[in-house]
Amino acid sequence: MSSEQDHLKETDTEARFDFKKEETSAFQTEKGLTEETVRVISEDKDEPEWMLNRRLRALEQFQEMPMPTDWPGQPDLSEVDIAEIVPYIRPDVDVRAGVDDWTELPDEIKDTFDKLGIPEAEKNALSGVGAQYESEVVYQNMQERWEEKGVIFMNMDEAVQKHPDIVREHFMTKCVPPSDNKFAALHGAVWSGGSFVYVPEDVTVEMPVQAYFRMNSEGMGQFEHTLIVAEDGAEVHYIEGCSAPKYSAFNLHSGGVEVFVGEDAHVQYSTVQNWSKNTYNLNTKRALVEAGGRMEWISGSMGSKATMLYPSTVLKGPGASDNHITIAFAGEGQNIDTGAKVYHNAPNTKSTIESKSISKDGGRTNYRGLVHIADGAEDSSTSVECDALMFDNESTSDTMPYMEINESKVDVAHEATVGKIGDEDVFYLQSRGLDDDDAKQMIVSGFIEPITEELPIEYAVELNRLVELEMEGSLG
Amino acid sequence: MSSAQLPANLSTETVREISESRDEPEWLLDARLDALDALESLDLPDVIQTPGRRWTNLEALDFESLVDPLDQADETERTSDEGVEVLTFTEALEEHPDLVESAFGSTIDPQENYLTALSAALFTTGTVVYVPEGVDAEDVTIRAEMNSRSLFSHTLVVTEKSSSVTILESIESGAEVDADARYFSNLVEIDAGENSYVQYGSLQDLEEDTYTYSLKRADVGTYATVNWIEGNLGSRLTRSDVESELNGDSAETKIVGAFFGHGGQHFDVNARVWHEAENTTADLVTRGVLDDQARSVYEGVQDVGRDAWNTSSYQRENTLMLSDESEADASPKLIIHNHDTEASHSATVGQVDQEDLFYMVSRSIPDQQARNMLVEGFFVPVLEEIEVDEFREDLEELIAARLR
Repeated sequence: MSSEQDHLKETDTEARFDFKKEETSAFQTEKGLTEETVRVISEDKDEPEWMLNRRLRALEQFQEMPMPTDWPGQPDLSEVDIAEIVPYIRPDVDVRAGVDDWTELPDEIKDTFDKLGIPEAEKNALSGVGAQYESEVVYQNMQERWEEKGVIFMNMDEAVQKHPDIVREHFMTKCVPPSDNKFAALHGAVWSGGSFVYVPEDVTVEMPVQAYFRMNSEGMGQFEHTLIVAEDGAEVHYIEGCSAPKYSAFNLHSGGVEVFVGEDAHVQYSTVQNWSKNTYNLNTKRALVEAGGRMEWISGSMGSKATMLYPSTVLKGPGASDNHITIAFAGEGQNIDTGAKVYHNAPNTKSTIESKSISKDGGRTNYRGLVHIADGAEDSSTSVECDALMFDNESTSDTMPYMEINESKVDVAHEATVGKIGDEDVFYLQSRGLDDDDAKQMIVSGFIEPITEELPIEYAVELNRLVELEMEGSLG
Repeated sequence: MSSAQLPANLSTETVREISESRDEPEWLLDARLDALDALESLDLPDVIQTPGRRWTNLEALDFESLVDPLDQADETERTSDEGVEVLTFTEALEEHPDLVESAFGSTIDPQENYLTALSAALFTTGTVVYVPEGVDAEDVTIRAEMNSRSLFSHTLVVTEKSSSVTILESIESGAEVDADARYFSNLVEIDAGENSYVQYGSLQDLEEDTYTYSLKRADVGTYATVNWIEGNLGSRLTRSDVESELNGDSAETKIVGAFFGHGGQHFDVNARVWHEAENTTADLVTRGVLDDQARSVYEGVQDVGRDAWNTSSYQRENTLMLSDESEADASPKLIIHNHDTEASHSATVGQVDQEDLFYMVSRSIPDQQARNMLVEGFFVPVLEEIEVDEFREDLEELIAARLR
């Protein structure tokens, strides 16, 4: 390992994630959600009329839709009371659209991101970085050489102003309409911040683009929107990281991610989610993939009190493909309900889903997946593999796949296994001089390797370190 | 409010009339009346829903015109083996009143859902199989013919300690009935005593204007084994639930299912097992073939409880699609609360292997015949599980007949 990697490994991850800052917001809305709140947010951002109208329509839809309460075995959402949420907090930053130099950030915020190791990662391995603190993006930078090729990476609010045509066409229209689910509607009404990534035809962004989201205030909701448009033949890897310290009141994260993958384009979307354990993470992520395009979702779900997130891909054009790699880790008091949805709507489409979960100390994981093969999607194939590892009988691990197959000329395979950590494996490692905890940790690291090896090294190290901390029970 | 409509002449009087004409004891009349009362507040059985879709539309069943409680007719032949008692439900009420009273509703709560309650209130036929301690019985058959627009059946199987029994049940449509649609309801409860063994095979080949609801559930005791074989070929719409509750240590179960749909048939086939004790084993195997516009819905559930240490649980489901207009939906679920578990499930959907077909055709087997052979071969893993030759041959014949 290089010294940089060693350094990253040695960074104290617990201290990096679980610190809080004094709340120093410049502006925040009242708790709860009314039309007035939505108008205030829109006005504060100086948005065009069409965006305000979209927000208001989403608000209507949110108010019409019931909470999802009838899914088999779903997390308990009774605590999620929108009336108790502060939907919008603007931190005290002079430059509205964020700054492009870390040193210009207020010390409080700079310090936060320093601790998270973001500037460091930017220097080392990334093409661009965006950082969001509460509801607003506070830092945004894209390396010049990509900008020259027409690549756009900016915060979503700014994109509404600067690239209205692209945004108006793609923003919550065909990919994630607010009518998709209650929390997508909520998101549509109060969204703020997030990333806009545009990669022109045939441009390959060789280094990953990264955004980091940080929730600092108690009782707030974060609703960042990510819109990625990869034109035909384009290629980009987007990485998202998130964290929040732990408070006694609950936080709500309800982001929206829309990815447009053009013909023969390739988008990889990687997330390591480590929200604090009082956060409800109710996110909607979807990709539309044109002919020959390829979408990859790589997700690590470590934090949150409850997560309901099923990144979905619609394979629209012939030959489009999708890969899902997910890992969920649920410790005490956590309920991670996650999976994948893939719609095969064209011939010769392919998808693979690889899902791993670990549950421990009463934690609860669930793989909930849907594979739909439409009539006419001949010669399509899908394979779903779920493995669950359980540490004790206080924990729960469920697998609930749904498969809807309307076409005969297909190859559909689903497999799932659940097992306890192998006593023999532990014994073997112990006999080689490892203590019980180290042995188990090593087995878990091996178990999640298929995921970590897909991630850039910084993230792989972070994920491993988070898993180690979970195993030690030292993350709160 | 229930979502289903009540049959036309369904009332307390109807239920009393059914019960009195059969000279039933007070407790059973009460159970029927309670079930009838509950109808208003009960829902239809759960069906799987995914965004924008409901996999089976039970609401479409029009009970008002399907069900005529006072006109139920069946012709059922029962054969028994030495030492085992195979009685009609009415006979059993006379000869083993206590046994029937304690077994009725012990594994299936009559008020579980709208359809079980309807069945409990109205059933007029059924069989009680009682296997005393130590008795081994191999040839119990229940061959039923449905001779009315609607028919409700309730069957109880009670095996005492260290006994064993193999039961074959079949149902088909009998004499012409003046109706364009029929409804058949079949509830089967098995109480498998310690160290007993039950194989319960069932073959449904009702005419394709029939709507069938069937719920079969076993309470499997310590060291006991209950093996189910569920063959579904007939009916317009079939909702079939086969379930084992492994309540005793070292209990075992196997649920083997086969279905073959053609035309506009719809099969909603479910296999579920609950592991509630230590060292229990379950194996769920389902194979189905779909042709024309037929549709299958499959749910398999392996539920491992908190105290189910050292569980082994396996599930496989394979569907073969012969036509582009058919649809196969599946949801194999694992629900695991104990970590000392080995559990797996797998499901596949595909069509007849083109290479196999090519190979056979190149060996001069005509195309259609080759395809039929491959379909028949597809069912072999299910057929192999059937211990009774007669039953296996029946099923093979029905499959072959459908391919012709």
